[in-house]
Amino acid sequence: MFMVGTLVFFMMQLNPVDPTAFLLGDDTTDETVERAREDLGLNRPVLTQYGDWISSAAQGDLGVSWFNGEEVTTLLRQRAAKTLTVALGSMLIAVTLGVSLGILAAIKAGRWQDRLVTVVSSLGIAVPNFWVAIILAAVFAVKLRWFPAIWSNSRTDSIWGWIYTIILPCIALGTAASAAIARQARSAMIGVLQQDYIRTALAKGLPVRRVIFRHAMRNAAIPVVTLMGFQLSALIGGSIFVEFIFNIPGLGTLGVQAVQRNNMPVTLGFVMVTTLVVVIANILLDMSYAWLNPKVRR
Amino acid sequence: MAQSQGKALMTDTVLSQEDLAGDRGASEEEQVAAVGGSRFWTRFRRNRLALSAGGFLVLLLSLLVLAPYITTHDPEQATRFQDGLFPPGSDYWWGTDAVGRDIYTRVIYGTRFAFTAGAVAVGTALIIGVPLGLVIGFFRGWVDRIIMRLVEAVVAVPAVVFAIAIIAVVGTGLVRAMFAIGIVYSMIITRLTRAEVFAAREELYVDGARASGASNLRIMFRHILPNIAPALIVQTTLLFATSVLAEAALSFLGLGAGPKQASWGRLLRSAQESIDQSIWPAFPPGIAIFVTVVAFNVFGDGLRDAFGREARGGRVGVGDVERADVTDGASVQGASAAANQPDPTALLSVRNLSVRFPRPGTTEDVDVVHGVNFDIGKGEVLALVGESGSGKSITALSVLGLVPDPGKASASSIMLDGKELVDMDFNELRLIRGKEIGLISQEPSAALNPAYTVGRQIAEPLRYHLGMSKKDARVRSIELMTRVGIPDPEVRIDSFPHQFSGGMAQRVVIAMALACSPKLLIADEPTTALDVTVQGQVLDLIGDLAKELGVGVLLITHDLGVVSELADRAAVMYAGEIVEAGTLVDVFHRPQHPYSEGLIKAIPRNEVREGELPTIDGVVPPPWMWPKGCHFAPRCPHATEQCREKDVELRPSGASQTRCIRADELDLIGVAGKNKRTFVPIVDTEVRDD
Repeated sequence: MFMVGTLVFFMMQLNPVDPTAFLLGDDTTDETVERAREDLGLNRPVLTQYGDWISSAAQGDLGVSWFNGEEVTTLLRQRAAKTLTVALGSMLIAVTLGVSLGILAAIKAGRWQDRLVTVVSSLGIAVPNFWVAIILAAVFAVKLRWFPAIWSNSRTDSIWGWIYTIILPCIALGTAASAAIARQARSAMIGVLQQDYIRTALAKGLPVRRVIFRHAMRNAAIPVVTLMGFQLSALIGGSIFVEFIFNIPGLGTLGVQAVQRNNMPVTLGFVMVTTLVVVIANILLDMSYAWLNPKVRR
Repeated sequence: MAQSQGKALMTDTVLSQEDLAGDRGASEEEQVAAVGGSRFWTRFRRNRLALSAGGFLVLLLSLLVLAPYITTHDPEQATRFQDGLFPPGSDYWWGTDAVGRDIYTRVIYGTRFAFTAGAVAVGTALIIGVPLGLVIGFFRGWVDRIIMRLVEAVVAVPAVVFAIAIIAVVGTGLVRAMFAIGIVYSMIITRLTRAEVFAAREELYVDGARASGASNLRIMFRHILPNIAPALIVQTTLLFATSVLAEAALSFLGLGAGPKQASWGRLLRSAQESIDQSIWPAFPPGIAIFVTVVAFNVFGDGLRDAFGREARGGRVGVGDVERADVTDGASVQGASAAANQPDPTALLSVRNLSVRFPRPGTTEDVDVVHGVNFDIGKGEVLALVGESGSGKSITALSVLGLVPDPGKASASSIMLDGKELVDMDFNELRLIRGKEIGLISQEPSAALNPAYTVGRQIAEPLRYHLGMSKKDARVRSIELMTRVGIPDPEVRIDSFPHQFSGGMAQRVVIAMALACSPKLLIADEPTTALDVTVQGQVLDLIGDLAKELGVGVLLITHDLGVVSELADRAAVMYAGEIVEAGTLVDVFHRPQHPYSEGLIKAIPRNEVREGELPTIDGVVPPPWMWPKGCHFAPRCPHATEQCREKDVELRPSGASQTRCIRADELDLIGVAGKNKRTFVPIVDTEVRDD
């Protein structure tokens, strides 16, 4: 609970810091916006702008896009669902695959299964996820036509159509993350399996399955959960590329476009929303610590 | 770390790699000294994988210069426009892209962009991160708090998103994009440096430097920085790898290198644009990125191992326990036939137990326990006594079928109350473990799972072996906790292990071991980790319970004080063998083996004594250095040539059994008097060596 409070506090800290930097930077370097400055209210003092932005942002209003005048919050809301489902779907793949491989490797430590997992996972973390996305898109969407290569609103009206559309992106993103999780899960599990309480559990005559899945896994989960926090952040970042390759109109494509066009309110909103997601996810993960590790409970 | 927590399992039972390699003190020193110096290079040179990764990186570096000489085409212009998407061939080795540029040439030139990108990003990160981390780590206080809050805020934003946001300010382009990435990485470097400084501050050399009047700045850069350098070097290498990935990613999005530039990310972008016509152009740059990143990672991991910062994973795993059954067919050379027959009247009768472990670094197996026989009667306490490394704990684990991998236990017989345990598989033994044999281990706080309440852990065997309902198991657990003397069991049952003191935690472990009313209790150094005041209480508890419930106890200990409190009989182990066995009175008063004599002499007593407490010189050697003949001969004051000639059998001598061939001629000194409860030996006569 203490950690949650701290994190929320950080979030509050975070808001005033980043936007000032961007507004200041934009004010002094960009000439293209100069003409529109008056329309957009950029001729006002920076602090006034900042004050306006931050006070309306606090009320959930992130301003309007400089290009088409759309509400930034509306834009973000339309697109957030796509990005979030892709990120969560790939997280699901990464955790399922990573944790099972990691546990397998730990149980078979030193045997061929372990060596295979170790080699595959250290290669896996080196593969750029957008490269995997390109290849998957080329083979399964373009060549074989098993999966859609493009987002279509009519198909994604149904939940199955939605899932069907995001499967390839999720696999592309989840691969690298699962390699990282497998490495962490393996070393955490090996560490835990050497603990005395595992021997105690075995000496009590419990079945190996129970010893691994009850006694070992819960303790080994702590570092894995920590890593999941980092990975989620990486996955949200990675979804930008995957959206680009699979033509998904999500947050990532919006953000990149905004940066390329110097669309300040949208860029800011994009950063804010992704950060919010990561912060919320970290709060949830912190809450899971309390469950996993009684020592942090108050 | 493993050194302290895994004592029970690691030191004299598993004989972990380090322990097998020599005595523990030396390996700890080695770890400390390993940072820097020639040992680093010898270690690194041994890591062939990391060496070849380093070689490959040097090769890549040379490509930066050599690119114009070894490539065949212009990296930015097509030779002929109509040559688009050529497959690999003699002219275009790796084919061409959509506008007819040679992919081979572009990939080779791509190394320039990759390394530039890495240098810019990592350089930025170091220039910002190291001084910042040093300063806030050194001065702490409010500066530290504010900056760390900033750092954590930045880290909360996905790295790519933050980099994109910075690019929005500084503009696109390779160097600018990598500068943005560098700022993100500087947060990582700041955190790392700060943490390392925090640790280094506590070291003695910093105090020393301060005492000799060095300024803060000097201390920071001259004393602390070199000592945190290893961690930084490793992190830098790994960040280089992620920079290469980041460059590719940002260039791919069009935020990094320009459209014409032959960066790997750009190559992938152009490959992606023509992907429906040909998939091939995506492979050379993709593989180039992949191989480079792997090389950096392997190199970085190699550096880390060589700096000795990360402990190598052990080979102990649960799956191995399945194989750790006690197989039949151990033939102990020359053991007398009578000794091979288990005693049918005993509660536990072990015959010819041997445990083999591979010698570290080799495939050769060595016996760490050899031809061990012992019997425990119902309600009897047998103490297995010996120094660390004598193999006593592993002997106990063999009875449970829990010898850790890669050890292999074998015995001709392990009879528990008429049941033969040898040849039972893991699941058959499972019904014995916890039900008929209870285990009390050395460190109670480590023996309990921190994630569950003690109630759940005590109830587990009840539910598994006796099929009790949750409710019944809880009632019984409270009874057990009452029996072992835990106050307020109704409340404490829902507490977690960390809420118990050492002595109370050991009582919980004892309750757990007794849950199913086992016939045999194995107590592996049950009081070593406890305060002296609590030790006596716990020993009394074990002793009372054993008498009351008629449980046989196998007590493993190096502490003869414990033995005298609790045991009926004693078996002294040295270097994998039982060297003497007999009743407690016989072993203590009339030792038949010089090693027993040495142990007895080393007991501190309540008496005025001149000079130091006598000790046995040296330590138990690692198993592959056990000599032919009597294992104790090298440390024995009475050893003769004869002792070293051939292996010594356990044979009757006096009222006990001994493995000493000279037992009859030697006049070994035991304890002159004995009072079972308090054990205050009265006289310590002079050593009468012959």
